[in-house]
Amino acid sequence: MVGRRVLILSVLFSFLLSSRAEEPFRIFTTSTGQAFSGQLISYEGQTFYLKGKDNKLYPVQFKQLSANDQKYLIKVAQSGSVPKGDPRLLNKGNSDTPPSPTPSSNSTPDKTEDEKEEIVVKPITKPKPKLRAGSFFAYKPVNLGQDPSLAIENAKVSAIPRPDEPIDFTNHVLPILDERCFSCHNAPYEKNGRTIHPKAGLRLDTHEWVMKGNLDNTVVEAGNLEDSYLYEVITLDQEDDMFMPPKGGALTAEQIDIIKRWIMEGAKASAAGGEAMASDMSNGISFHQHIFPLIEERCLDCHSEPYVKNGRTIHPKAGLRLDTYEAIIEGNLDGTIIEKGNAEESTLYAVITLDSDDPEIMPPKGEPLTEDEINMFKQWIEEGAKENPTDTFAKPKEEKVALAPIDGNSEESIVEKLSKRLKPPSKPQMAAAQKSGALVTLLSTRHSMVRAEFSSGPNLIKDDAIGALSGIKNNISHLDLSRTSITDGVLGEVKKFNNLTWLNLKNTSVSDRGVENLSKMPYLTYLNLVSSKVSDKSVTTLASLKNLEEIYLWNSDVTKDGIERLRMALPDTKISF
Amino acid sequence: MKSDIIKLDELNRREFITSAAKACLGVGLLPMAGSYIHNNVNALEPGARPATARYVIYLNMTGAMSHLDTFGTNPDAPDIQGPTKSIATSADGVFLSENLPETARHMHNSAIIKTMVTSQGAHEQASYLMHTSYLKRGTIAHPTFGSWVSKLSGNINTTIPSNVQIGANPAGAGFLESKYGPLPIGNPSAGLANSKIADYLDETRFGGRLAMAQKMNASYLNQYDQKQVRAYSDLYKDAIKLMRSEDLKAFDITQEPEQMHELYGKSNFGQGCLLARRLVENQVRYVEISRGGWDTHDNNFEAVANNCADIDKALSGLLLDLEMRGLLKETMVVLTSEFGRTPKINPRDGRDHWPYGFTAFLAGGGIKGGTVYGKMDKVGRNPAEGKFIDPASLNATIAHAMGLPLNDVQYSPSGRPFTVAHDGKPLFDVLA
Repeated sequence: MVGRRVLILSVLFSFLLSSRAEEPFRIFTTSTGQAFSGQLISYEGQTFYLKGKDNKLYPVQFKQLSANDQKYLIKVAQSGSVPKGDPRLLNKGNSDTPPSPTPSSNSTPDKTEDEKEEIVVKPITKPKPKLRAGSFFAYKPVNLGQDPSLAIENAKVSAIPRPDEPIDFTNHVLPILDERCFSCHNAPYEKNGRTIHPKAGLRLDTHEWVMKGNLDNTVVEAGNLEDSYLYEVITLDQEDDMFMPPKGGALTAEQIDIIKRWIMEGAKASAAGGEAMASDMSNGISFHQHIFPLIEERCLDCHSEPYVKNGRTIHPKAGLRLDTYEAIIEGNLDGTIIEKGNAEESTLYAVITLDSDDPEIMPPKGEPLTEDEINMFKQWIEEGAKENPTDTFAKPKEEKVALAPIDGNSEESIVEKLSKRLKPPSKPQMAAAQKSGALVTLLSTRHSMVRAEFSSGPNLIKDDAIGALSGIKNNISHLDLSRTSITDGVLGEVKKFNNLTWLNLKNTSVSDRGVENLSKMPYLTYLNLVSSKVSDKSVTTLASLKNLEEIYLWNSDVTKDGIERLRMALPDTKISF
Repeated sequence: MKSDIIKLDELNRREFITSAAKACLGVGLLPMAGSYIHNNVNALEPGARPATARYVIYLNMTGAMSHLDTFGTNPDAPDIQGPTKSIATSADGVFLSENLPETARHMHNSAIIKTMVTSQGAHEQASYLMHTSYLKRGTIAHPTFGSWVSKLSGNINTTIPSNVQIGANPAGAGFLESKYGPLPIGNPSAGLANSKIADYLDETRFGGRLAMAQKMNASYLNQYDQKQVRAYSDLYKDAIKLMRSEDLKAFDITQEPEQMHELYGKSNFGQGCLLARRLVENQVRYVEISRGGWDTHDNNFEAVANNCADIDKALSGLLLDLEMRGLLKETMVVLTSEFGRTPKINPRDGRDHWPYGFTAFLAGGGIKGGTVYGKMDKVGRNPAEGKFIDPASLNATIAHAMGLPLNDVQYSPSGRPFTVAHDGKPLFDVLA
């Protein structure tokens, strides 16, 4: 009897859910290694409800599941394809009638519609106290001449943003910070005669402070989740030392989602006013907004005003000062460096556009200016190299472009050269890159390049694991995918790792289709294809890797004939077969 | 264990009970490996410089190999060579003994240090010095080189220990935490003992038992959610993780095809080398294999030839296999012994202990191939060219290639400072 009721209930339940895309059955594993086949039904806070093959419901704590499952659950929860709330309660609300006369599965459609509605609007956070119109406790500031009751109404609505609504810092993000972060990260205040400073020197009480971060770094990078430390610490494993908030449990999935959306939408101070900030250079270049920050960063080490060091006066190199607008226009004894309106004739433009190996190139240290930066200079000069343009614009968004090619035939190895061009990845970036099971280590303590390898339990590593590495893709020089369960598809991602020098695909199912992707990898010096499915068809691709120093093809499908052809094409490469 | 006793005063009560339970009640699922797998999870740290050798396979010829009849022949002095002839190798101008014809083919990837010296002429003390870079004292146990590797740079593969000892067991982690000590494997063919689920348990029943144990522990764990309590249940988790892990297969050489076993030779040493290759492939950083039978006070030439048959096959097989798999580039293979044997042949046709000059063979990752460093004098008694390379300097050379910080000071419980290679200086002449 009971079994029948459960059956009918679950039939009804699945009918209820049928309008949503149902999650498939999959294997969940706990962190202790127990496996369980189930289907995700719904979730509430940190509890996820799984339906087993036996049609029973199993509430499972998020923490108990393995990392892979957690990823899956986050994905599903964020996509919104499963409802929130305890399905048993949903069911109860559904069959309001006493339990004995079971509601038949063909109950009226409009009733079902009601229940569906109920699932969606089920309150997530604790209900806010209802406030009388104009109440003192409705602390929402109300402008003069505005109806207070209307303002309260607005405040209530905006506490939980609609999925399509842009996130507003004051209405959506600040309340979360207020509730969970202010106790430690507020403005300094007096207590018992002592000034209490915010922890870690980090204030989160206004938009300005949130964006400023602390002495270590910024905590929010607009539009970039990977680099936003704030997002990182609230999504860490709860066991982690850096997990925030340290007291009172994790933020709810909704709160995390709000912060995520806010960062992705550009971490703006207000939802509406943000668009105007988006900068582009199409309306002209501003000296102070665009040009000078770049000069300050790249030129002033050598071309600033004279200063005294160890009792000696240090003059700017070549007698050229670039620290003010006037100095830049004036040039040095040799003449002016800028011909207004003519970039090609301007010395400044000429020296930054030289070949990267030219001894005269400026700046002489660090990587050359990017194409965008060079174009910016060009545009500024062409526009007359004015100090005060008619409009001011924010600094154009930096965009990484591929580095100029490196010559592989000199004393210093390619990887050392690459290391000098790049900054080492930040700690949060390293942590983010290791999320999918990779071990990511700097080649040495003073290196910018990293090695990424899947060393522990590689057989569990699938194609999706590579995604976590994309945040530091320019820093990866060594990538070890050997013994993993990756397929050809993964190499489509690997080819975006521009600076890869060392790639190990030993004992994988990689075949010719995957290897095709490697043809455009300029710095590859070591390639291991031992026991892979690569055949003679790949010889043409491999032959195009001119920097290759060694390649290992033992136990692959490449034949003697293929090896001969490869030896002809790459006479200096060590080919192990 | 000794170091554990020394450190007892540092234990708090709970730690004491934990270790006592581990030792006496058989709590560890893997009795032998329990303490290693439980603790050994610190992941790799970047080295002071990029490592040219990420992995080291150290072939320890215990009993003191006769260098004159193996890697340190002296063709100019036939008196001391006895019947042993020299043969040319794949590296120009480098000669090996005729006992090592297969290894000779790999000389272009290898280097020989001919001016090794040690201050100890007795096996135990010399072996201790070789492994720890320090003289044996009654008051302290120094960590072996493999333990230093583990301590200073951590694990690449965090599922299995990064320091493995195949065959006879020398000193352990010394004053460092015992988790850095070597995981001992007696018989390479048997793999890691006691690491499988018992035959009579199927997966469901095993899961059931674990679930029951969890249930019984649950209320206690909830009530005392503390580091030490969690550490205790982590022991189970780690053991189960290793038990279920694919990485455990690294220890199982029966998974290798027959021709691989034959490539290395069926000797215990050969199979040990095969296991070492599997472990390195699974990113174990330091594997030592010891091979005895070299104390040839009598009948030296016949015994050395017999031993060399094994060694030559295993070493050349190892070098070839590593090369085919692209591992040799990052794996250093070291072969040496605690000291050498006398140039003078004694009346029993044997050679006696000789610490004043012997050889070390290094190959693969980080090594400048085809190099011979130094030269012995005409009578084979003392180094005539090149610096004296003591055990500490050999260890410093290996440590440098592995990117380990030579100046990182670790303090013993009594507060005395120690470093990975003591006062040794890397020999850059053999490093690439």
